[in-house]
Amino acid sequence: MKKFLALLLAAMMVLSLAACTQQAADPTSAPSAGGENSTAPDPAESQEVYENKIVIGDITEMSGDFRSPGWGTSSANATDQAVWFLTAGYAAMETDRDGVYQWNQTSVVNHSEVDNEDGSRTYTVEIARDLTFSDGTPITAKHYVADILAFSSGPVCADANRSGMSGQVLVGFEDFNVYAGPGSEEGKKEFAGVRLLDEYTYELTVKGSELSYFSYTTAALQPSPLGLFLGEGVDIVDDGNGCYLTDNFYEKTGEGEDAQYVKGLEILSNRYDVSKYPYSGPYTITEWDEGTKQVTLTINPEFKGNFEGQKPSIETIVYVLAVEETCVGELSSGGVDLLPAITGGELTKNALALVDGEKFTETHYQRAGYGKIQFDCDFGPTMFQEVRQAVAYLLNRTEFCQTFTGGYGVVVDGPYSPDFASYRAVQDDIELIDYSFSPDTAIKVLEDGGWIYNSKGEPYVAGASGVDAVRYKKLTAEEAEGWDGSGTNKTYASVANTDGVTYQTVEINGEYYMPLAINWYGTSGNSVSDLLSTMLSNSSDLSAAGMVIRSTSGDFTVLQGNIYRMSSMGYEGTPTYNMYNLATGWNSEVYDYAYNWSLAPEYFPYSVNKLFDEYDEAFPYDKEAERLSYDEAVAASGDKLGMDYLSMAMVYNSTTKEEYYQWWMAYIERWNELMPDIPLYSNFYYDVYHTKLENFKTTPFFGPRKALLYANVKGY
Amino acid sequence: MGKYIVKRLGYMLVVLAILSFIMFFVYSIIPFDRAVVEAEPYKQSLKNNPNAPQLYQERVDQYRRELGTDQNVFVRYLGWLGLGPINGKYNGILQGNFGYSYEYDRPVTEVLARPMENTVFINIFATVLGLGITIPLGILCATKRGSRLDTGVQVATIVGYSIPGFIIAIVFVWIFAINLGWFPVSGMKTPGSDYTGLQELKDRLYYMLLPLIAMTFSSLGGMTRYTRAAMSEALSLDCIRTARAKGLRERVVVYSHAFRNALIPIITLVIGWFTGIFSGSIVIENIFGLNGVGRIYINSLNAKDFEVVLLLQMFYVILGLAGNLVVDLAYGLADPRVRVNK
Repeated sequence: MKKFLALLLAAMMVLSLAACTQQAADPTSAPSAGGENSTAPDPAESQEVYENKIVIGDITEMSGDFRSPGWGTSSANATDQAVWFLTAGYAAMETDRDGVYQWNQTSVVNHSEVDNEDGSRTYTVEIARDLTFSDGTPITAKHYVADILAFSSGPVCADANRSGMSGQVLVGFEDFNVYAGPGSEEGKKEFAGVRLLDEYTYELTVKGSELSYFSYTTAALQPSPLGLFLGEGVDIVDDGNGCYLTDNFYEKTGEGEDAQYVKGLEILSNRYDVSKYPYSGPYTITEWDEGTKQVTLTINPEFKGNFEGQKPSIETIVYVLAVEETCVGELSSGGVDLLPAITGGELTKNALALVDGEKFTETHYQRAGYGKIQFDCDFGPTMFQEVRQAVAYLLNRTEFCQTFTGGYGVVVDGPYSPDFASYRAVQDDIELIDYSFSPDTAIKVLEDGGWIYNSKGEPYVAGASGVDAVRYKKLTAEEAEGWDGSGTNKTYASVANTDGVTYQTVEINGEYYMPLAINWYGTSGNSVSDLLSTMLSNSSDLSAAGMVIRSTSGDFTVLQGNIYRMSSMGYEGTPTYNMYNLATGWNSEVYDYAYNWSLAPEYFPYSVNKLFDEYDEAFPYDKEAERLSYDEAVAASGDKLGMDYLSMAMVYNSTTKEEYYQWWMAYIERWNELMPDIPLYSNFYYDVYHTKLENFKTTPFFGPRKALLYANVKGY
Repeated sequence: MGKYIVKRLGYMLVVLAILSFIMFFVYSIIPFDRAVVEAEPYKQSLKNNPNAPQLYQERVDQYRRELGTDQNVFVRYLGWLGLGPINGKYNGILQGNFGYSYEYDRPVTEVLARPMENTVFINIFATVLGLGITIPLGILCATKRGSRLDTGVQVATIVGYSIPGFIIAIVFVWIFAINLGWFPVSGMKTPGSDYTGLQELKDRLYYMLLPLIAMTFSSLGGMTRYTRAAMSEALSLDCIRTARAKGLRERVVVYSHAFRNALIPIITLVIGWFTGIFSGSIVIENIFGLNGVGRIYINSLNAKDFEVVLLLQMFYVILGLAGNLVVDLAYGLADPRVRVNK
C-alpha cells in the first residue's frame, strides 16, 4: 500500500515536471542579431483555408484604457497602448522602424517651420482633406488641436485627473493654463501658440526658451473626436489671436469649493468608453469584454493609411490575456496565433521549441533598453567613480547576461540601444571603456582612487578579517561633508549586518576614512536580484578586492522612496542605499536627459543618479546664454564637458543631425567613464506566431502593433 | 432564537468594527503615499520649470488634502467609514462610497463587479460538484470500510490532498488542453466570438470546464476523507448498533441515523465551502487566465491599491462572521441538543 502510494506520488511529480518544462530549444541555435525572420514557410505546403483573423495572446492584462493609455502619464499598460495604436491614426508624425519621427505622407499635405524674430519657432501643418473618422465624419484641423487645448487647461484638467501641462512649451501656455472661464481673473482664453489658419491647417509656436533638437515632435499632433477630450458641444474657435474653447468648456456644477468643471468630469467619464466616439486608426474596437479581458478590433474601412500609406489587411485582431506558464501551450494548441514580445530564458526556450518553420515561426529583435545596476552617486563609496567602475569590473556581465537571458540577450556598455540611428552613426568613432570582467583591474582602479587603507588608517592588507576585511579611503574635508554639506559621509555605515560586522566611517586624528561597503536595495522575489547576489555580492572576487556589498530586499515602493528620498514612501531620512537594480528603455529615438544631471537643487527630483559631475562645476551650462556649438564648447571647456552640459546641449544646442550625433557621442562616452549605472543585459524579444501570419516583421522601435499593418493572413 | 440572533449580530458589529480598524491601520502604516504617486505625472511635466519643486509640493499637498492622507489614521478611518469628514465632506461607506481604485481609475464596486460575477459563476459549479461527489463518496467509503473501493479512494484522495492545486492545474492543462486538445488552455470565451443566449452559456461553460475540473479534483481529497471519518465514527455509535438490532433497513440506518450524527463536523466545512463561493482562487485564476476576484486581489495588493483590498477584506470578514452564525444555527438544526431556544 505504502509503496503504491509512493509510486503514484512519484508519477504525479514526473508528470508535473513534464508539464512545467516541456521541450526546450537550444539557445545557441538562436540568431544573435535582431530583426530577422527565422523561416519563410512554403505556401504550397499548406492547404488550409484560414479566417482573416489573428488572435494575439498577451501576458499583460488589458485595463480598457484604450482612448488615451496612461491618461497622460508614462505608466501606460503595454497592451492598452497596442490597442490604442491600432485604433488611433493620422498623427502628423509617426516613428519609423528606427524610432525616428517621420512626417505622415497620408495625413499631412504640407508642413513648414519658421524661426520668428522673438526666438520662437512656428510649425505649420496642413492636413489632407479626405481624412475621416471610422463613422465617416470628416477630420479637420480642429480635431488635431483638440487634445492639446483640452489638456493645457489647468482648472478643467484638475477635475479630469490630468496634469494640464500638455502645451507647456508653446507660446501663451501660462495664460491659457490658468484661465478658468468667463469672468476669470487670471489668464487669457486664447492660446496664442495654437492657431487654426483654416479648416485644414494648424500652427504651433514653440517658445524660444524651449526650442530643442526634438521640438519638431511638438507638431506631431493626432486627431481626436472633439467630444472625446473636450466634452459634447464644445467648439474650437480662432479669431486671430490664438485658439480658444467656447465658454461651455468652463461650465461648473456645484458651489464654492465643491464646484467642479462639468466638462472635466465628462472627459474623465469618456476615458474608458470605447463605443461613444469613432476612431481614426486602422482598426475600430468592436468589442471590449472587461469580464473576459478580450478586445476585438475590426478593420476600419475609412482608414487611408499610416505614415507610409500602408493600410491593414487582417480583418479582425483579437487581443486575449495569456498566462505566462501556459502561453506556449496556448499557441501550440491553436488558442492564439501570436505571442508577442516573449522574453526570459525559460519562456523563450519553450516558445522557440515550437518553431519548426512549417506551423510556427518567429521574428525577434533586441530590446531598446536594458536591465541595470543603478548607483546613488552623492554619498557613500558609490560617490566615487573608481568604486562604480570597480563594481563593473567585478561582475562578469557576459556570464550574467547568458545566465539571466538563457543566451537570448547581449551586454551593452552605455545608456543606448545598438539600434539607435545615433549609435549606428557613431559606432566606428565612439570610444568606450571596456568593462569586461577583470578583478585585477578592479583592484587597480580602487588603489588608484585611494582605497588603500584599513580601519586604523594603516595600509590595507588583503585577507584581513573583521572590519579590516574591506578597504578604506581617506576623505577630504569636502568629501566628508558630502555634496549638501550635511556630513552624511561622516556617519556612513553598512546595513544588513547579519554577520555581526558593521563597516562604518571612522575618524582618526580628525580625518575620516570611509569603508568600501556598499548598501544595495533590491526588490524581493526578483530573479535579477537573486542572480546578482550569487554573482556579485557573494562572490569571492568581491571580497578579494576588499569590497563588501550588503543586500537588503523589500518592496518596490521603498526602493522608489529611497531613490527619490521621499519619507512617505519608506525613506528614513538619511541616505542609506547606494545601489539598486532596475531596468530602463526607449520607445523612440527621442533621447532627452536634460535636467537629469543638474547641480541645481530645484532639479534634484529629476536627478536619478544624483551624480554631480565636477566638469559641470568648472564649466556649467547656462540655458539663457549663447548656445555654443559642440566644437566651441569643447574648446571653451578644455575638452571637459560634464554630464549636465552634455545632456542639455545635446537637446538645446544641436541644430543639425550631425551636431546632435557629436553631442550624443560625447554624452555616452562621459557616461561610460563615470558609470552611474552598470548595464547588465539587453534581452531579445521574440514574437512567435503561426505561419498563417505572413509579412510580419518587427524591430526594436517597430513592435507588433506597428508591424501588424504590414502583415496578412495567408490567402488574403 | 430571535434574541440569540440579534445578540450575535450585535457581537458581529463589534468584531467588524475592531477588525476594520485593525485592517485600516495596518494598511495605513505601509510606507506608501498615494498623493506622491498621483502627482508624479505632474512632476514629470514640470521638468524644465525652475519652480518645479514648489509647484510639485503644492500639488502633493493638494492631493493629500483631498485624500485625507494629511490627517491622522483615526480621522481617515472615520472618513473611510463615512462617520467623519475628509476634506470637508462626509463621503464614506455609509454614504455609499465604497472606495476608489487608483490602479483601475474607477470606483471599487465597478472594478469588482465583473470579477466577482466570474468567481461566483465558477465557484457555484465547483462547490455543487465537489459536495455532490465527496459526501456520497465519503459515506460509501465509510459504509464499505476496508473494501477495495475504500482503499482505492483512500489512495486517490491522499494523492489529491497532497498535490498543490497549481500542480494539478498545470498537469491538467498539459494533459487535457495541450496534448489531448479537449479543452482550451486558458481564457473565458472563444476569442472574437459574439455569441448570445444559450450559445454564449455553452461557450462559457466549455472554457470553464477545465478549471472547474481542476478545482473540484483539488478539493475532493479533503472533504471525502472528512466525511468518511465522520461517518465511520457515527457508524460505530451505540445508537447505530441499536438501530440495526431493531431491524431497521441499512439505508435508514445510514442516512437517517448515522449521517445525521456525522453532520455536525461536516456542516462547518460545507458552510465554509458555500461562503467560499465569493472567494477567488489566486492560483486557479492565474493559471487559467480567469478574471476573478483572486486575481484582482493579488494585483491590487501588488499595486498598493488598498481601497480595493480593504473592501474585499471587509466583505470576507462579514461573510466569515455571517457564516459562523449560520453554522451555529445549522448545528441546532442537525442536533437538537445544541439547539438555541433563547
